[in-house]
Amino acid sequence: MTAIESPKQALENQIYALALKDLLYQLADDDFLISFRGSEWLGLAPHVEEDVAFSSITQNTMGHAFLFYSLLEDLGAGDADKLAHARPAKERKNTVYAEKRNGDGSYLEDPYYDWALTVVRYFLYEVFKKVKLEAITNCSYRPLANVAKKVLMEQPYHLAHWRLWFQQLQEANEDAAARIQQRVEEAWRQFGDAFDLGPYGTEMQEAGLIADEETLWAAWFSEVQEVIQHMPAGPLEKQLGSGRFGEHTADLDHALHILSEVYNSDREAVW
Amino acid sequence: MGTNETNFYQEYEVFSKRSAKAPVQHQFSLLAPNEEMALIMAQENFMRREDVLDVWVVKKSHIRAMTSEERQNWTKRLDNKDYRTTKGYGYLRKKWREKEQGMLDEKEILSWKEVKKS
Amino acid sequence: MYNYVEDGDSQTTAYMADDQEKYEQFMARIEAGEKIEADDWMPNDYRQALIKLISMHGISEIMGALPEKEWVPKAPTLRRKLGIMAKVQDEMGHGQLLLRVTEDLMRPFGRNRENLMKDLLNGDLKFHNVFHMPTKTWADAGMVGWLVDGAAIISQTNMLDASYGPYQRALQRICAEEVFHAQHGESIIMALAEGTKQQRDMLQESLNRWWPSLLMFFGPASAATTGSSKQDIMIKYRIRKSTNEELRQAFLSKYMPRVFSLGLTVPDETCHYDEEKEEWIYQQPDWEEFKKIIRNQGPRSKERLRLREIAYENNRWVRRALAAQPVG
Repeated sequence: MTAIESPKQALENQIYALALKDLLYQLADDDFLISFRGSEWLGLAPHVEEDVAFSSITQNTMGHAFLFYSLLEDLGAGDADKLAHARPAKERKNTVYAEKRNGDGSYLEDPYYDWALTVVRYFLYEVFKKVKLEAITNCSYRPLANVAKKVLMEQPYHLAHWRLWFQQLQEANEDAAARIQQRVEEAWRQFGDAFDLGPYGTEMQEAGLIADEETLWAAWFSEVQEVIQHMPAGPLEKQLGSGRFGEHTADLDHALHILSEVYNSDREAVW
Repeated sequence: MGTNETNFYQEYEVFSKRSAKAPVQHQFSLLAPNEEMALIMAQENFMRREDVLDVWVVKKSHIRAMTSEERQNWTKRLDNKDYRTTKGYGYLRKKWREKEQGMLDEKEILSWKEVKKS
Repeated sequence: MYNYVEDGDSQTTAYMADDQEKYEQFMARIEAGEKIEADDWMPNDYRQALIKLISMHGISEIMGALPEKEWVPKAPTLRRKLGIMAKVQDEMGHGQLLLRVTEDLMRPFGRNRENLMKDLLNGDLKFHNVFHMPTKTWADAGMVGWLVDGAAIISQTNMLDASYGPYQRALQRICAEEVFHAQHGESIIMALAEGTKQQRDMLQESLNRWWPSLLMFFGPASAATTGSSKQDIMIKYRIRKSTNEELRQAFLSKYMPRVFSLGLTVPDETCHYDEEKEEWIYQQPDWEEFKKIIRNQGPRSKERLRLREIAYENNRWVRRALAAQPVG
């Protein structure tokens, strides 16, 4: 596949453009939803110093979503804020595991959030994000390859942060190890859709945009198994459906309702 | 194995280096359960808006700092040490001028980074 | 963001005779502009006043994150989401700096961060009156960022030369970040002020609601109003320079012209600058209400404390787990 240098060039091939946009929605929506969940944690983390560090990761991650939405904007998909705030749930391409609530309650009332879920989710997600972006750094669409390289410069800190939390809690005491293990088992049932390439998966590979699902999964698996002490048996499942095909849970509706509340109060206004 | 959480709050002093030419500088202190956690939190707690090339964390109890009394008593000096600085040798400028030579002052000497290539 | 407001119990000072010399040395040092460090000798009432001031300042930053944070996930654009997140993160960061300063002052009493959190939750450690108020609309997020932070900047910059070194250094860091906060708040307000009628109405309604809190921000003019005030000891010990009323006047002078320039009004028809007296005239807020608020009986006091308590208790297992590890 020859390199595609500009949005104009990408749009000349209809199939290429469809596959490219679908991939960009996956990248943007994953980072946006997971950073939204991070933003709900602000002020509620186990201690103050961690709260501050966690928020930087959340901001960086939302910044990455912004970069991916901007690539879509360049391809004529609409402005980044509209893409982030105005698309209905069925058009969202994030993994369902990213939209999952932080725990019981809400950030406004009774926030019984689960730090074990957060540590497990971010660790598994950050390894996945690294693997997926590495598979994109030499992709045929040069503007995306460049963004992927940039994001990969900032992301190692995120992964190191969550890996450290994962390792330390897993090795701390029985209570913490059990809480982590329970969330790992749960992730095994729910995180499978992250590796789906979606309805244009074949086209994506043919267009030289990304590696196949098996390759991504194998790279992810070999990295997480070095950290997880008790790897669950069996493959990852998609108990909650596949976000890459527009299947989502009530948790996404809940998230969209909150994150677009002010935006929706007047979509034409300048905020 | 303790069941209370007091040990979670260990004090670490945080230092960082802003550029290759800059010295390591003290920033602030934080509480963390161990040095790995202290290090992973340090940068975002104190250097969110400035360049960082390196970060150090040091357990506070591992620092031997002066006591209040030592600071009061050990840090005061008489102002009679001209012989240690260029101030005590300023008369040389006039001497060299008489011999039609320039003064090899700080500005001159520090400009000697480059010498003529053979 | 914060200001020092007193609630009750006054300290009595009783020096041992042999401390008199140390006391005189101490006063000579601060009057010469020297900075006092955590392990230096200091009079008991200086230490107590600092602990009370800085613990309240620190915990107010932590509690102050909550009302603004309500609008973090809801902010209307990606840029606004990032801006307000960075701003609230800074408030937590300011809390971190100030709690560390307090913890070092409390060390001789064997008290630490855990005690501060417990004191907050059982009502012994108070947080600033302004953070007991609801944030009902997006305009409130702007109002907190603009005028509440503006008031906080006035009171914090007044202490930039504070005689206590660790506090003074923390304030340097804090005030440097407040410059970003001020502009962040102005940016939200400016968009609303220049926006649709609905946006402008939302902004005016917000200011109307926040007005009494803004006047209360600096505390009563004198102890006569609420029974006690620590402003005298703060000035004597060179922790701050100005009185509550001087700070309030400075705030009105800096911000009222800007409020009016945006076409906004305040819900006090008497509010104006008296050229002859060279001061702002305004109607006193309800100081009885103020006293209730700072006793955790404000409109959102219970809810905010409950949020903090759930976050604290619910994450206890994390701190216990890592406390059990060999200490690195």
